[in-house]
Amino acid sequence: MKLKWLKRLLTLHGLLFLFFVYAPIIIVVVYSFNSHPVNMMVWKDFTFDWYLSIFGQSTKLTEQTLYVESTDQLVGAVKNSLIVAVSTTIFSTIVGVATALAVYRHHFRLKPFYQGLLYMPMVMPDIVLGIALLVFFVNFSIQLGMMSIIIGHCTFLISYVFVVVSARLAGMDDSLEQASADLGANPWITFRRVTFPQILPGIVGGALLAFIISMDDLVITYFIAGVDSTTLPVFIYGMLRRGVKPEINAIATLMLVFSFAIASLGLYFRKRS
Amino acid sequence: MPGKQENRRLIALLTPGSIFLGIFFLGPLSVMIVYSFLEPGLYGGVEWNFYHLNYGRILGWADGEWEEFDPVYAEIFFRSVRIAFTNVVITLLICYPAAIWVSGLAVRWRTFVVFIITLPFFVSLVVRLFCWVLILRPSGFMNTTLMGLGLISEPIDIIYTETAVLIGMAYIMLPFMFLPLYASIEKLDRSLVEASSDLGAKPYQTFLRVILPATLPGIAAGAVLVFIPSLGNFVVPDLLGGAKVLMIGNLVEQQFLSARNWPFGAALSVMIMLVMFILIIFYVRRIGRSEIAR
Amino acid sequence: MIGKTSESIAEVKNAVKRFPAPEGGVITALDGISLEIQQSQFVTLLGPSGCGKTTLLRAISGFEDLDSGEVRIGGELVTGVPPYRRPVNTVFQNYALFPHLSVSGNVAYGLEVAGVSRSECNRRVGEALERVGLAGFDRRKPSQLSGGQQQRVALARAIINQPKLLLLDEPLSALDRNLRQSMQIELKNLQHDLGICFLFVTHDQEEALTMSDQVVVLNQGRIEQVGPPKAHYHQPTTRFVAEFIGDGALFSGKIQNTTEDPILFTEDGLRIPVGVGAKVGDSVTLIIRPEQLDIAKQHVEGSMGILDVVLEQSLFQGATNKYVCQLANGSTITAIPTAAGNEAFSRVKPGEAVRLSYRRSEPHLIIESEHAG
Repeated sequence: MKLKWLKRLLTLHGLLFLFFVYAPIIIVVVYSFNSHPVNMMVWKDFTFDWYLSIFGQSTKLTEQTLYVESTDQLVGAVKNSLIVAVSTTIFSTIVGVATALAVYRHHFRLKPFYQGLLYMPMVMPDIVLGIALLVFFVNFSIQLGMMSIIIGHCTFLISYVFVVVSARLAGMDDSLEQASADLGANPWITFRRVTFPQILPGIVGGALLAFIISMDDLVITYFIAGVDSTTLPVFIYGMLRRGVKPEINAIATLMLVFSFAIASLGLYFRKRS
Repeated sequence: MPGKQENRRLIALLTPGSIFLGIFFLGPLSVMIVYSFLEPGLYGGVEWNFYHLNYGRILGWADGEWEEFDPVYAEIFFRSVRIAFTNVVITLLICYPAAIWVSGLAVRWRTFVVFIITLPFFVSLVVRLFCWVLILRPSGFMNTTLMGLGLISEPIDIIYTETAVLIGMAYIMLPFMFLPLYASIEKLDRSLVEASSDLGAKPYQTFLRVILPATLPGIAAGAVLVFIPSLGNFVVPDLLGGAKVLMIGNLVEQQFLSARNWPFGAALSVMIMLVMFILIIFYVRRIGRSEIAR
Repeated sequence: MIGKTSESIAEVKNAVKRFPAPEGGVITALDGISLEIQQSQFVTLLGPSGCGKTTLLRAISGFEDLDSGEVRIGGELVTGVPPYRRPVNTVFQNYALFPHLSVSGNVAYGLEVAGVSRSECNRRVGEALERVGLAGFDRRKPSQLSGGQQQRVALARAIINQPKLLLLDEPLSALDRNLRQSMQIELKNLQHDLGICFLFVTHDQEEALTMSDQVVVLNQGRIEQVGPPKAHYHQPTTRFVAEFIGDGALFSGKIQNTTEDPILFTEDGLRIPVGVGAKVGDSVTLIIRPEQLDIAKQHVEGSMGILDVVLEQSLFQGATNKYVCQLANGSTITAIPTAAGNEAFSRVKPGEAVRLSYRRSEPHLIIESEHAG
């Protein structure tokens, strides 16, 4: 019957789709263990050497290949990324939650304007935002460095947290808050004992999302990073532009593992809520 | 009428966000718009004069003194629109059947599959694009495998072409198209599909008359979410297109980092923003209204 | 229900359908069902949830494939034929109106899909809407209609295609009581005017009895009884049907003779006089309907049976009262007496003993055979 063929085609498409999504990633991970020094896509032997070189140990293999990139730069970039991500996450989560509470629990004249304002950074192409921030900082003689990166990230991460927490608030049963008030609790206590525990999964989700996005951000950071401070994505981008080295596979794989771990953590928390 | 205390609370909650976004979001945007009307200084930097030619240059005009008519910028602009639009079509064609397939799976599998589809999204953009560089290069995975299998004798020259850029862009934007589509398809009332079949419609008729109209909001949302980032993208054309495929994002980057013509770069950015606004207004007006009517 | 094959509009033979159960194992929705449905009749599939009535309906419309067995419509084998090729239309329980189409768009759908010309479509849509009482509603959207109106659109959309058989899957269950009752009458009239066979699914036995020419009672994937409504009420052939349809008290046991007249001896010691029809030693089930019981007069005739009960409570029903009484073995029996009996009965106080009488030939006896249906 024709319908059966349709279903089989559909399943084939679905599986090819998954394959397409994961194939490049799997290829990179597999070839990060490839010991071919010149053409990294031709399989030679299995080796951990590239991973070792990232962490500062050089082996016979890596000494053969004459690249001069220093691991210090890599480590520095990772450190910067983490510092930025943690700071931004803290700030934008607090501000995002506060704004979400304000907008969804009250009615005021400028409400649609506020909601529009908060959605804008998410829809805007990164490059526009990056340029705008660059121009702004330079014009007002604000030095480009870690601080400017943190500020830049907060600009759009507040929106992400806002959206996630708002969704959680919208799905909340507000009769619970009414019950709490009916039983004599003032607004602060109601918030602490009823509202907050309910939206906590949303807050955690928003924070994790902000963290990941901050760690991965390339375009905006690229424009406002300045000379001395690089983050990991910008560093890798630079590496790619200058020419590809085998260590890149290993770095990429490590980043993959890290991101997967964080995302899985996020899902785990969501399931528990 | 909100009580005084409630008002105070509202203001307390709203202030930090408002101040921060006011200064660091609206501020930069305004400055950028202002810059787009300024004159570029000779050695970089800006002169504070009104200079309308930045926009003019985009369309190819010249001021008769320093510049000749050159439509190259308009070309780049249209190429970017074309690539962004093609990307929407490609991702739509790839994701729609996939979304239908996922929504037909058993409930237990569904959340898991959606999760593993969106998981790569959390990996850095650079890393994911880098994978494609490695695959598509002349010495890359695709060519070495195909040559190794004896299917081709010379490497296929795919990198640094528009095709490579499209592949890379589609790959990056897949979740943006998949998730809204999937949300819309999942909400579809299956009894409508049955009713259509019951009334004699063959499967393709059911698809065109019932399924497609019902999932139109998802398609529209996905299209907007894919088009806007595609338009302003510069990383993909840079890594996979080289100097051969210039998009408007590359142009902006050049103006700011090498050519040092900030006003022109600002003007280009404003153009991108305008396209974005037009799209969003269009979307909110037509799609938003039909959603409310439901 | 045995007609010549050439008269029946649909036939099901030995239909079997199983589903995997959520906790593991298998649910048998249809357990070898065979059924013939005659033309121009209003047939109802009646039974509790899970009895297989909806599965049977969907097997006929083409949305369920049978594990074994066959389905014929108009004499042609349709097993394996997809729904859009069967000359059958369905009115869905949730109406399934297309939200993005207007009323006329919905109603015309089947015609448009078949390629009927625009002008012809418009004409027939106008007719169909008039027939269901929705003339002038053609431009509205489903979201602007009430439940009852939506239901009529669903009806119009189905009948406009002139199907051989119209299937209705609990279409009235979402309506409130008054609307439901008026729709029952309308549906019955519609079926009569159109002359198409209606196959109607419901779990509400009152509805089934009101509307149907034939009722098919289903239980756990099997047919319990097939026949006109009166037959189910007055002569149920299985215990299940006796319990499911109408009110009444059931008694099971063996027939014995202590005097001339046969008596039903239940396991818990009740002795109930019955009429003729069963032999001594038969296992039987007796059903006594409330309207068959009255308060016993001083002098009881020989053809009457007597029951000694205690009155528990009397319930006001409007026209008469319902008297809930308790028998010697603790079970309940309800009586709805005549007007004269009501007079006498109303003087009995709860907790008092009273005697009920009935004509021995009236309550129906089901002789337990090996398997029903």
